Amino acid sequence: MLSRKGIFSQKYSLYWMMAPLFIYLAAFYLYPLIYSVYIGFYEWSLGDATKTFVGFRNYVSAFQDSQFTGSFLNTAIFVIAAVGIELTLGLSLALLLNRESWPMRILRTVILLPTLITPLVVALTWKALLNPDIGALTYYIRAVGIDIGRGIFVERGLAMAGIVLIDVWQWTSLITIILLAGLKGMPIEPYEAAYVDGASRWQAFRYITLPLLRPTILIALVVRTLDAMKIFDSVFAITGGGPGTATTTMNFHIFKVGIQHLKVGAASAMSNIFLLFSVLIGLFIIRSVFLSARRKGGAV
Amino acid sequence: MMSSPLGQHLRWAKLGSGMMRTIIIAVLVVFLLFPVIWLVTTSFKERIDVFQLPPQWIFQPTMSNFEYVFDKKPIEMWTLNSLIISVGTTILSLLLGVPAAYTLARRKFRGKSLLITSILLIRALPPVVILIPFRVLMNSVGLIGTHTAVILIDTIYNAAFTVWLMVGYFEAMPVEIEEAACVDGCSYFRTFRAIALPLATPGLVTAALFSLILSWNDFLFALSLTSPPSATLPLGILSTFGMLSVGWTYMTSMCTIAILPLLLIALFLQKYYVQGLTFGGVK
Repeated sequence: MLSRKGIFSQKYSLYWMMAPLFIYLAAFYLYPLIYSVYIGFYEWSLGDATKTFVGFRNYVSAFQDSQFTGSFLNTAIFVIAAVGIELTLGLSLALLLNRESWPMRILRTVILLPTLITPLVVALTWKALLNPDIGALTYYIRAVGIDIGRGIFVERGLAMAGIVLIDVWQWTSLITIILLAGLKGMPIEPYEAAYVDGASRWQAFRYITLPLLRPTILIALVVRTLDAMKIFDSVFAITGGGPGTATTTMNFHIFKVGIQHLKVGAASAMSNIFLLFSVLIGLFIIRSVFLSARRKGGAV
Repeated sequence: MMSSPLGQHLRWAKLGSGMMRTIIIAVLVVFLLFPVIWLVTTSFKERIDVFQLPPQWIFQPTMSNFEYVFDKKPIEMWTLNSLIISVGTTILSLLLGVPAAYTLARRKFRGKSLLITSILLIRALPPVVILIPFRVLMNSVGLIGTHTAVILIDTIYNAAFTVWLMVGYFEAMPVEIEEAACVDGCSYFRTFRAIALPLATPGLVTAALFSLILSWNDFLFALSLTSPPSATLPLGILSTFGMLSVGWTYMTSMCTIAILPLLLIALFLQKYYVQGLTFGGVK
């Protein structure tokens, strides 16, 4: 095992194998993040020759900026609504598709379709479908007598629901696929025992399926929550954050300030707040779900 | 088994039965397929048919939209740019991620769990948070507007995903094979290259597939870091989406072109795609 000596020996190979990744991450991930903390203290627009040190003023302004605090709230509403609906629908669909027959196998392939389509394409498709005047879906919605006012993405109270709908369309299948994999590994004995004891279908679901599926549901929830927080494409392509600021999410707002208006200092302060928040959620989730699963020798 | 009374009961463990089930499934399938069918059919419609209400599902198909976009739009350039960025990202992500994952899976050392946690944490990183300083950095090194800039930022997420996937994959492989194959001595790197890597091929396919999909579908990074000559397909598509929806026929034909490669690859590699999606969900 230790035939070769020197720098490539067992002891150092540990570092050699990991070094490229960590050098890369240090340069293009860690350095930008640290730099972001630094410019968060400056008033600086990309293109300005000088940066002006302003201390915590960018942070104070961020919290005073109703668009920023509003975007935080919008993101929270979006994530809770989208992931909540996706989880409910995804679980029902998984239970429906959980049998071995050829139509079910085909359906399990068909439902993969939305997850593969470029999110921007999805956004533009729905934008056309829900066009207030000539959208095909708008036509059908009005035909069955549902009042959507001047159109889903035009009405202040409906625009966010539209963004949620698109996310539900694209990602419910992901949850279904994850849960189907979990259902496949379920033992049959508890059900046998339960039905011998005269349990009802609902009781079997409530007291056997749900608890056994819990770890899988948790992981599906985590994966979707982390991704839903990144919502950007549909907001950018469909509503531009509007009407008013009804669909301005954090990602979108910071993008607007930092990339479109080039106010890098202010945008960095906001993204540092966003980052801190995401890291806390992420750490909490990873600690409670992934690492505990590793320790138990289960899934990662 | 399924015909016995107990078997009949067991089927109830799965939700619903008969008509009701079929109806619910049908509604869901229509919901999931309707937008895609609209998209693809519209790309074969004459402009006059697009604006018909009620929507026309049966119509005289035409190739004119595709001819137009190939004729008048730099779609080959956009496709090539998308391809360069996704393939570049995939290669870089695997080169960086796989060896690191092997070490993280096989060796014990101090700080290992901290390293794994911080790599997992990248998944929680909002793209815009890294994008703002990254753009400043690219600006100062003169890489803004190049494929390289997009590849470098896409790789952050894709290398992290690769590590995450491959650590799990290597850990699940019995270490005995590697030990047995190397009784008479071979280096750590050779064990990795000659024994572990070939055994891990299915995992590598999954990692590569996801890296391709994620970078092909990226919009925000390409939007913020490319210039017109390096623009990717999503950016090209967006530019054809006119305010008054005049461009719908062109937009949908370009969308159809953009989604086709991934659909074909994923259908062909369905097993690996599902494995990647469910990865983490099950043992």
